[in-house]
Amino acid sequence: MRAPARIAVGYDGSPGSEAALRWAAALAGALEAAIKVVHAVGLLEHAGLASLSVHEDRARAIAAGAGVEPSRVEWCVLEGDPGSVLCRMAEGPDPPELIVVGTRRSLVHPGLLGSTSLGLVACAPVPVVVVPPADRAS
Amino acid sequence: MLILAGPVGEREHDGGSHPERPARIRAALDGVSDLRLGSDLVTVAARPAQRDDLLRVHDGEYLDELESFSRRGGGALDADTYVTDTSWDAAVRAAGAGLVAIEALESSGEGAAFVVVRPPGHHAQRDRGMGFCLLNNVAVAAAALVAKGARVLIVDWDVHHGNGTQEIFWDEPDVLYVSTHQWPLYPGTGRPEEIGGLDAIGTTLNVPVPPGATGDVLLQAMDEVAAPAVEAFGPDWVLVSCGFDAHRADPLAELALTSGDFAALARRTAAFARSPGRLVLFLEGGYDLQALRQSTAATLGALVGDLPPPEPPTFGGPGSEAVRSAARDRRRAIEELSDRLLAVDSLDAPVTERPRWGLGGAR
Repeated sequence: MRAPARIAVGYDGSPGSEAALRWAAALAGALEAAIKVVHAVGLLEHAGLASLSVHEDRARAIAAGAGVEPSRVEWCVLEGDPGSVLCRMAEGPDPPELIVVGTRRSLVHPGLLGSTSLGLVACAPVPVVVVPPADRAS
Repeated sequence: MLILAGPVGEREHDGGSHPERPARIRAALDGVSDLRLGSDLVTVAARPAQRDDLLRVHDGEYLDELESFSRRGGGALDADTYVTDTSWDAAVRAAGAGLVAIEALESSGEGAAFVVVRPPGHHAQRDRGMGFCLLNNVAVAAAALVAKGARVLIVDWDVHHGNGTQEIFWDEPDVLYVSTHQWPLYPGTGRPEEIGGLDAIGTTLNVPVPPGATGDVLLQAMDEVAAPAVEAFGPDWVLVSCGFDAHRADPLAELALTSGDFAALARRTAAFARSPGRLVLFLEGGYDLQALRQSTAATLGALVGDLPPPEPPTFGGPGSEAVRSAARDRRRAIEELSDRLLAVDSLDAPVTERPRWGLGGAR
């Protein structure tokens, strides 16, 4: 087994996704891996009806702060539910070798993994790392 | 005769400025009124679905948590989907309205039914609400019919893929799920290669079409891809996830249909039913109120009276090649999976299928 050279991380501007991005960027920096920051566009955002705090600049700044060269950071926007987007990417051409996601509150499994995380762990053909939010990690 | 089941959600489950809003029900009802059906319109009140009805398609743990969440006042399920203190009661009545519609049609033996409810349902998965949907209304109705031994066709012409319905019936050989939807678009599922599970190969049928596609493209999908599969399947009932957000005025997507196209789709879909009185349409999306009203009138007018639609049908948009490509990709996927099954049958070895996103992998 070799270290992953391509890492995808789900990012929606939430605290959980920022924690995931920081963790993924730290790993990418240490391994000199490329990192793809993936933002999934939902129904409201597609229609311009949601003002999510999603900024490419912020994502790139987090990656740079963890020591990832800017040329190794790709910002990727895809239509869909976060889980379906990341799974589709993992099944497509030039797939990531590692997927990193944060956690959100799960209605069915409070305190455990969110449904996106659970679904990814089950369906992704590559390893998935689920990063807890900063308050839980501490 | 038209049976109208509901309405549900005319006042409750109100997310303020959210596009999935109570006024949608009034717009749909106005569309029904525009038809002036008189005694040909029969309204039946919705009743709450029983827990056993819901458990056919949803996990009990999810139902408990959703009810509790709503009773506590609710909040955001995700970036798109809200829950209020009235959402649970509305969702359970919306899920029950389809069952009432089926009973009414079984009694009358003629006509069609329109289930005028919200919140919509086709994105709701077994253990998760999403995409404005909490409980899967069309799936609750289809599962009840299957439990009675029926074979059920679900046609989903909402502009978004019904990932929840697909997931729920992925391995159900007695349900044929047919979806046309814009691609790429939320929820990101609905590729032609998604054909159903090992126990139900070919009973999921997806035809994604590009932005700008017109009504003739969706009719081509029905005629060239769906119709042969439907004929081979032989449905006893036809249920429709009847979203009107493929209308060109809708703010949430970019297809280019008019109300006249929905009338044509309704005629095609009605022809899939082998007997009279076996067609139920469920309101799903549709967020421009005028388009929703006109499309409701055009769709139902085509079924119960052959009334002319307020807008002409559309032609010439992109997507004809996408339909042909979907047919090829679907055929190839079915052949490949069938070949694998034949190969391992001779070895008496199990075929395993890695879970795909939204197909029960989260459970």
